[in-house]
Amino acid sequence: MTRRGFLKWFIAGFGALSLAGVLYPVVRFLKPPPAVSSAIGQVANIGALDSFPAGQLTAVTVHGQPAAVQNLNGKYAVYSLICTHLGCVVGVTGDTFKCPCHGSEFSPTGVVTHGPATLPLPTYHAQTQNGSLLVGPIDLSGAKYPTWYTGEFGA
Amino acid sequence: MSTTTEGRAPEAAPAPAPEKRGLVDWLVGRLGLSATMEDQYNRIVPKHATNYIYCFGGIAFVLFIMLAVTGILLAVYYQPTPDAAYQSVINISTHVQFGWWVRSIHRWSAGGMVLLVFIHTLRVFFTGAYKAPRELNWLTGVFLFLITLGFGFTGYLLPWDQKAYWATKVGTDIAGSVPLIGHFLLVTLRGGEQISAATLGRFFDLHVLVLPAIIVALLLGHFWMIRRHGISGRL
Repeated sequence: MTRRGFLKWFIAGFGALSLAGVLYPVVRFLKPPPAVSSAIGQVANIGALDSFPAGQLTAVTVHGQPAAVQNLNGKYAVYSLICTHLGCVVGVTGDTFKCPCHGSEFSPTGVVTHGPATLPLPTYHAQTQNGSLLVGPIDLSGAKYPTWYTGEFGA
Repeated sequence: MSTTTEGRAPEAAPAPAPEKRGLVDWLVGRLGLSATMEDQYNRIVPKHATNYIYCFGGIAFVLFIMLAVTGILLAVYYQPTPDAAYQSVINISTHVQFGWWVRSIHRWSAGGMVLLVFIHTLRVFFTGAYKAPRELNWLTGVFLFLITLGFGFTGYLLPWDQKAYWATKVGTDIAGSVPLIGHFLLVTLRGGEQISAATLGRFFDLHVLVLPAIIVALLLGHFWMIRRHGISGRL
C-alpha cells in the first residue's frame, strides 16, 4: 500500500468515524422518548405473588419508577422508593427503608423514623389477581407530596 | 492477404486512458465550476493573516452551524405555548435521549457565538480591516452582530421560566423607552401590553424563522465580499 493510499483510507475512515459519532446521538435524539405521562395511571402487572417473599421488601420498577413490594403474610403493599425529602432513591434493607442521600429512615409501614424527611413514603394502589400483583396509580392523597412523584408532566 | 483477423475491427488508435476522477471532479465538470475551483485553490492566505486572531470569524461561523443543527433538533420537541413550553424544555433535558447534550450545545454555543462575533469585530476594528474598500463588509458585520444579539434575546424567552420572563420584561421595557416609537416597539414585540402567549409566539417566530433567514442572507453577503476583497493588508 502506498503512503498516499494509506493516508486516503486513514482520513476517510477517521471522517466516517467522526460522522458516525455525530449521527449516533442525533438518531437517538430523534427516537421518541418513552412516554412518562401515559404510564402514570395505568395498571401494570409487576409479577407473580410468589416472587415477593413474606416479611421483607422486594425492589421492583413500577411505571418506570423505583418501588418496593411488601408482603405481610399475604397482605401486599407497594411503596414508592423515592424519598419524600429531596427525591433520592431510597434503599431497602430487610423490611426497612433508608435513604443514602440524607439519612432519612422509614419504618416497614413507610412512616418516618428518622429525619430529615417529614412525610411517609407514598404507596401505589395494588391488588392481587390470578396469582399476580397488579399495581395502579400512586396514592398521593395522604399528604401534600412533592411534585416528583407525578412525573414531569403531572399525573 | 491482410494480417487482420476476419471479423475483428481494425485496430483503432488507443483512446486516452480515462483520467481517474472522483465524485467531486464529476460535479465540478457537470456544473462548470472548474474556474471557480481553480480560483479557490490558488488563493494564498497572506502570512500576516496566519495568526490565531484571524480565526475568530471562522470560529463564530462554526458555532453558527452548530447552533443551526442543534436548533433544528430542539425544535422537534419544543412547544412554543405558555402551557407546554417549560415542560417541553424539561422533557428535552431529562427524557429525550441526548436531549441534555443537544440543548447544552445550543446554550453554550449561543453564548460563545455572541462572544466570538464580538471579538471578531474587535479584531477587524483594531487591524483597520473595515477601511476602504471594505466598508460594506463592516456594515454587514455590524448587522450580523446585532442579529446575533437578537437571537440571544429571543432565545432567552423560549424556556419560559422566571428568568426568561423577567429578562424579556426588562428587555422589552427598554425598547419601550425609545422616544416617539417606544410604545409601538413594545406592543409589537410583546404582541400586546403585557408579556403573554402572543409574546412567546412572536419570539419563537423571530428566533426560528425571521432571524435565521436574515442571518443567512447577511452571511452570504459577508463571505462573498471577503472573497471579492481578499484579506486586508497588514498593519
